Formats: sequence, structure tokens, C-alpha cells
Amino acid sequence: MPNFFDLNVHAYPETDVPAEEMLRVAIRYGYAGIAITNHDDFVEVRKENQSVIYRGVEIRTKSVSELNRKIKHYAGKVPLVVVHGGAENINLAALKDHRIDILAHPCGEKGEGSLNHVLVRYAVENGIAIEFNMNAIIQSRRGDRARILSRMRDNLEFVRKYKAMAILTSNACSIYGLRAPRELIALAALFGMRREEAVRALSDVPLCILERRWNKAREVELL
Amino acid sequence: MRGHDRRRYLVFVVMSEIELDKYKLLNAILDSVHSLYGDIGTSESKLWLIKYDKNGRGVLRCTHRKVEAIRAALACIHSVNGVQIAITVIGISGTIKGAASIA
Repeated sequence: MPNFFDLNVHAYPETDVPAEEMLRVAIRYGYAGIAITNHDDFVEVRKENQSVIYRGVEIRTKSVSELNRKIKHYAGKVPLVVVHGGAENINLAALKDHRIDILAHPCGEKGEGSLNHVLVRYAVENGIAIEFNMNAIIQSRRGDRARILSRMRDNLEFVRKYKAMAILTSNACSIYGLRAPRELIALAALFGMRREEAVRALSDVPLCILERRWNKAREVELL
Repeated sequence: MRGHDRRRYLVFVVMSEIELDKYKLLNAILDSVHSLYGDIGTSESKLWLIKYDKNGRGVLRCTHRKVEAIRAALACIHSVNGVQIAITVIGISGTIKGAASIA
């Protein structure tokens, strides 16, 4: 079985569940590690947990200038930089910046945004992963869910066409928001993602993103 | 019947803030399946809650064609009457006896 990672999990202080508690449940579900990506804040992780809890930040902003300022602030300080996507201008600005690792829910949490050929090309150029947020499918119903699913289907087409990196995440805010890898794979099938694509989006691609960060961190230390 | 209507027994675990009774859970499952797949999909999946006990374990029957679809529908359940829950399938078997032996 491959090593699975969930790279978008929210924990204390943003929510009232500590990171260790999230990790305990995630490991029971079969994950090898999780990344805590709180909105505009990053957590300190105890030394013994650093190989399984990765520190990240999810930048949430309304304007491009604020986004650039925050990227400058977090880049180099936090290993994993995620941008809270959705709005067209934010998606574009984020995908143009190579310091970003993941664009979270580019179709927004309610299916309001979308990707296009230009944006996905930037993502490939800058090595930014496109996230598919399964929490949006879980939490929505009826029209909202239909819209989100069709947006994800479109995004998946772009990802396939340009061979962009895609990851699946739970975007969990509590232990009840987490889902096991096989559950996420079944959910991804709802918008047409094949099994092997989904497995890669949960194991190889997150691992590749994390390894890139480790190498970068090591380079900084050597300098 | 055997040829086209093979059954699968999904063993699942419910993680919940408070104890949940069987009928509330069954309603939540049917609601989620119905919301995702509609009347036709629900009828085709031939769901049946075989058992559910208080410690959060249960067995759900469906046809072998719909196992992944039902898994997705179970994963979509996030709360029952305002109580947060999460359902995970921990094993699948072709017989009730096999399902009972999944620890």
C-alpha cells in the first residue's frame, strides 16, 4: 500500500482540535502524515511529530496586493504554502507565483470559481498542485453540489490535458471532517477521477511536493 | 438470482460525538444515497441495514455493482440532527458470515 497524505487539515488554534488529535485519527484511517494548513497562521509542531505533521499555511485574501505581501511574509518561513482559491484574480496571481505549493479549491468552496487553459499552464510551469477539496462535496447538497461536481469535472479535464499535479484533500476542521483514503477515492469517482489517478493524488503527488520542500529547506541550511 | 444480483456486505464504523440510534443512522444513510443518486440509483443499490450496534459498528447490504457508489454516499454523511459524524467502511464481504468475522 502506498503512503497516503492529507495536505489540507485545519487544527488548533483555528479550530478547537489539536493537531496531535487530528494525526491520531488520520493514522487510524491509514495516512502516513498530514499537513496542518490553518488560514493565515502556522502552528508549531513538537519535534517527535515533525516527520508526520507538516507545517503549512493557507493564505486567504481578497486582493492580489495583499496576497503578494502574505506570500513574501510566509515564503521560506513555512514549508508548505497554500492559497485559498476561488476568485479568478486570486487563482491567477497564485498560480503565477512559484513560491506557492498548492492552490486550494480553485473552484471555490461553493463552486463559484473556475480554472482555464491559461491558469493550468501556469500551474504546470510553476509546479503548483491543484487541489480537489472533498469537503465541498461532503458539506453541500442539491444544486450547490451539482455545480461543484461539474466544476471539478472541468478542472480534472484541464489537469489531464496539461498533466498538472492534482491532490485530494479532506480540508477537515474537526476529526469528523477527516475521511479515509479509500473514501476520498470513492468521492473522487463522483466527478470522474479514475482510481489510479486518485491514488496518485493522495500518495505520490503530495510526497513529491513535500520532498521538494525538504530539499529546499536543506539547501537553505547549507547556505 | 446469483448471476446478476450478487450481494455485498459493507462493514462500517461510525465515529460520532454522541451515541446514535439505528433509525436515525438508517435515515441519514438513505438520505445521503438519495441525495447523491436519486430515486433510481437508490432503488438499484438495494440497500439494507443488516445490523448496527451501540458501539458504532454496523453491516450494510448492497449489490456488488454499487459498492464504491455507496462508499461515497456514506462518506458524504457529515452530521445527523446537528451531531457531527463520520462513517468509514472497514471491510467488504460477500457473505454475512464473512462480514461478522471482520474485526
